Amino acid sequence: MKKISFIFLFTLCIGNYFSQVEILSAKEKAFKDSIAQINEAANASAEGKEAYNRGINLFSEKKTIEAVKEFEKAIQSDPKFLAAYYNKGVAENELEMFSAAASTFNKLISIDSSYSKAYFQRAKAFFGLKEYDGAEKNYEKALKFDPNNVKIIYNYGVLRFMQQDYKDAITKFTRCIQIEPNTAFYYNDRGSCYRMMGDLPKAILEYEEATKRNSNLAFVYNNIGTSKKKMKDFPGAMIAFNKAIAVDPKFYMAYVNRGATYFTQGKQNEAEKDFLQAKQINENCAQAYANLASILILKKEYQLAFDNAQTAIDIDKFNGAAYLNRGIAREMLRDMKGACEDWYKAKELGVELGKSYHSTNCNN
Amino acid sequence: MKNILLIVCTFSFGLVTFSQNVEFKSSNFKSDKEGFKKAEAAIELGDTYFNKANTLLFGVKDYKGNFIYAKKQYELAQSFNPSNALLNFKIGVCLFNSSNPLSSSEYFFKAKELDTNCDPFLNYYLGRLAQLDSKFDEAIAFYVKFSTEYKKANEFTKFIDQRKKECENAKKLITNPLRVWVDNVTELNSDRDDITPTISVDGGEMLFSSKRKNDNTPDSIGEYDFEIYTTTLEKGNWLEPKKLIGDINTKVDDVVNTMSYDGTTLLMHRSINNQSDIFESKLVGANWTTPEKMNSNISNPKYNDRFACYNHTGYKIYFIRDNEEAENGFQAVYSGMESKLRRDYATTTFLDVLNSKFNEGPMYITIKGDVLYLASQGHGSMGGYDIFVSKFVQGQWTAPVNMGYPVNSVYDDFFYSPTVNGKFAYITSNRPGGKGGYDIYKVTYWGPDKTPIVSTEELLISSIIQPVNDNAIESKVDVTRKFLTVFKGNTIDLLNSQPVAATIDITDNASGKITETVNTNSATGKFLITLPSGKNYGIAVKANNYLFHSENFDLPDGGDDNIVSKTIQLKNVAVGNTITLTNIFFDLGKATLRIESNAELDRLVKLMNDAPKLKIEISGHTDNTGSASTNESLSQQRANAVVAYLLSKGIDTSRLSAKGYGSKKPISTNDTESGRQQNRRTEFKITSNS
Repeated sequence: MKKISFIFLFTLCIGNYFSQVEILSAKEKAFKDSIAQINEAANASAEGKEAYNRGINLFSEKKTIEAVKEFEKAIQSDPKFLAAYYNKGVAENELEMFSAAASTFNKLISIDSSYSKAYFQRAKAFFGLKEYDGAEKNYEKALKFDPNNVKIIYNYGVLRFMQQDYKDAITKFTRCIQIEPNTAFYYNDRGSCYRMMGDLPKAILEYEEATKRNSNLAFVYNNIGTSKKKMKDFPGAMIAFNKAIAVDPKFYMAYVNRGATYFTQGKQNEAEKDFLQAKQINENCAQAYANLASILILKKEYQLAFDNAQTAIDIDKFNGAAYLNRGIAREMLRDMKGACEDWYKAKELGVELGKSYHSTNCNN
Repeated sequence: MKNILLIVCTFSFGLVTFSQNVEFKSSNFKSDKEGFKKAEAAIELGDTYFNKANTLLFGVKDYKGNFIYAKKQYELAQSFNPSNALLNFKIGVCLFNSSNPLSSSEYFFKAKELDTNCDPFLNYYLGRLAQLDSKFDEAIAFYVKFSTEYKKANEFTKFIDQRKKECENAKKLITNPLRVWVDNVTELNSDRDDITPTISVDGGEMLFSSKRKNDNTPDSIGEYDFEIYTTTLEKGNWLEPKKLIGDINTKVDDVVNTMSYDGTTLLMHRSINNQSDIFESKLVGANWTTPEKMNSNISNPKYNDRFACYNHTGYKIYFIRDNEEAENGFQAVYSGMESKLRRDYATTTFLDVLNSKFNEGPMYITIKGDVLYLASQGHGSMGGYDIFVSKFVQGQWTAPVNMGYPVNSVYDDFFYSPTVNGKFAYITSNRPGGKGGYDIYKVTYWGPDKTPIVSTEELLISSIIQPVNDNAIESKVDVTRKFLTVFKGNTIDLLNSQPVAATIDITDNASGKITETVNTNSATGKFLITLPSGKNYGIAVKANNYLFHSENFDLPDGGDDNIVSKTIQLKNVAVGNTITLTNIFFDLGKATLRIESNAELDRLVKLMNDAPKLKIEISGHTDNTGSASTNESLSQQRANAVVAYLLSKGIDTSRLSAKGYGSKKPISTNDTESGRQQNRRTEFKITSNS
């Protein structure tokens, strides 16, 4: 309509006229077509950029799935749109679509191998895929570009922890501490390395260093508590769990662990209260249900014990304690076959008692 | 059990309320003397069996079928006179000493209500009923009462002491139950006696004996003989039992005792003419051979020999034996041989440590030979037969220890056949809840106390709590759409349409800058250029001897319509020609020139300078909206504003005039917006060119 009005206006007003050319010479047509191609490319580029910008808006609004779609549109409009690849990969990592993220960063790096940030992100994707070797190579590459980037060093340390190379993890966390000496997290994580190496006193010292730098970290007090519980320092463990709860009354793990400490000391009623509290705070706390099952077994309330252990398994199918306890409940509910299956599963998940119960009860 | 007794008590109370003891006296049955005589005769015959059974019972002997025979006679009399206390008591005694002792309760309670003193042993049996009902203190009180009130009670001290001891044992054992389940093996049991479940060491095969209905003729009281059956465990359930074929089952009682550990031989006992002996059979192929009676040291015609088992070496056979002279009933003995070829079983040896003052029962020795299970009515029984365990320590069997509740009950529990790992065992019991008579039960051991575990939960790595903030993304980019439009056309003479060589200046009106200057082809007048789309342009066309031409136009945004064509008609500069100044703009309703008009006005200034003889009239025009006077005034003011601009640029006032025509000279319709827009214009007319 606009076009028609435009032509009409010129034709009537000034005695001249504008119009679409009905017949063009070959030269003119070629010229027109070349301009049309330029316009088409310009349009596509603009639409791709608009999609990219929309993706950024959506990402900032936490609409990450929609953001990925927009970044993908941007890439389709311009297959060399590096920033779109990067943002898409980051968003996929956020969504824990690690395989897709790794693929996206692979493509980005294949286009531009100097895109340094992509290596860090690709390491994160591999970490998520539990492809620790791939993650390791990418962290190394990222560090070559940016050797003092504390985020890279820290994440590399976490990777080392997951690879159970606690000594190297300690090296990485120590480097983090050198760069940022007041960050409590690095002390906590270094402490956890010592803990995994069996050096509980040193672990506790590190955790305490963490609390000196940040006294509001409930999970660090919780780590102190569980370490002290392992050392059978039950009073010390209780103090630590109480601190964790004081810092964060909704920190359900501290209730689970304080309950477990009570249980170990034969204080079943107190233990039960804590497990119930943990369950109330976090209805998806598998360990609270698994531990409650223990209490109920001791009370000979086997059906309830079964139900709680079952819930724990529904939440966390790798909870060995839940399988062991469900097995005990099942035996008492006369489901010996089920009990044997549960003890075998507990055994597979590393619960020693599962092995013992299975071998002594499940063969004729 | 409690409920059953309650019902029985209620029933008895009802009887007492409405009935009284009716003695068997002819005076009480004057109307039916014949019936009385028959009842009296039945009682007399029943008493014969009853007394014999009682003598055997308290002589710790096998009373065989005497109580059953007695009961049959008593029931004849009972149908004639159900309200005799003593008769009810006697029937109660007969039933109590059957495989279903609880069935005696209604008769004992009725006897008690009819006449509590009908028989001194009523207190004894009421005690035994209370014991079956787990009312142990009440039972003890009855036993004490019996001892106190019955003058000859001292002749039964052995029994009373044992009963009281049983009650004390029961209290202790029930308080500390074993971690086991004891389940009726319903798929194997019948409504009659099912006993002696001997299993293979892997627990997959079983032989047992049963009095269930079979092809043989039942005895005078309707009971069938024991036959041996076999069954196989499949997917946790025993298959339907089948009677062993061949000569192993006869028309007399055939009771399997145990299988050898390798399952290739079995021991059994048969009772022929009240004489029981031990036999051995071998498995050949799928069939058991005709059982052979063991040599006379084991199957001795002077004794009743039963319930034999092999020891772990296979050189000894353990079994129980009694004879008329023995005071303590069946006693555990063994006989050994020196050569398995000769099978020269030697004289028996009594196992004193295993023997009590009461009957011992079936034995079983584990494959390792270190544990012996023994049934006994004595030792630390909690009532009836219980199963005991003895260990072989330093060459001797230890004193039997009660296996505990609920493997044992206050009823008869005997025969213990365990699987090789001890997780399961099969026993025989007449405890309540069975199918009838003795039943086979499965014992399942829970094993040692199982400790439930609790575990802790922690976050060892901080990044789980607070992930490293590494999700920063790249920032936004500018989006610009630079589309091009092809602008083509030609310049021609208005009058003769001949091509005119001209120069076209194209101005971006937003910036006021000339963006392109193009010379049209002198031969064709054509031009072809590209311009950025989406803008408003002004064009100024100059050609020698032609009046300068100007206009403005929009190029639409986007790249779809990427070509615009234009034919520009140029006018010779002739007096009377009128030209519209298209690119002159005023503020709405005012005569204030907008700055965007300067380019057009400057071109007019240039024209006036280029053609110094030119005189022009500037005219203002409006559409017909509003009043005529207002329109004329506004158009005059706008014409004046243009003249003022030209004067300010040095054009002599003599060459200029201004005229406001209002809406008097429309060039288009005033009925449409586009028409009205065309009518709102500023023009100049050439009034002189000389």
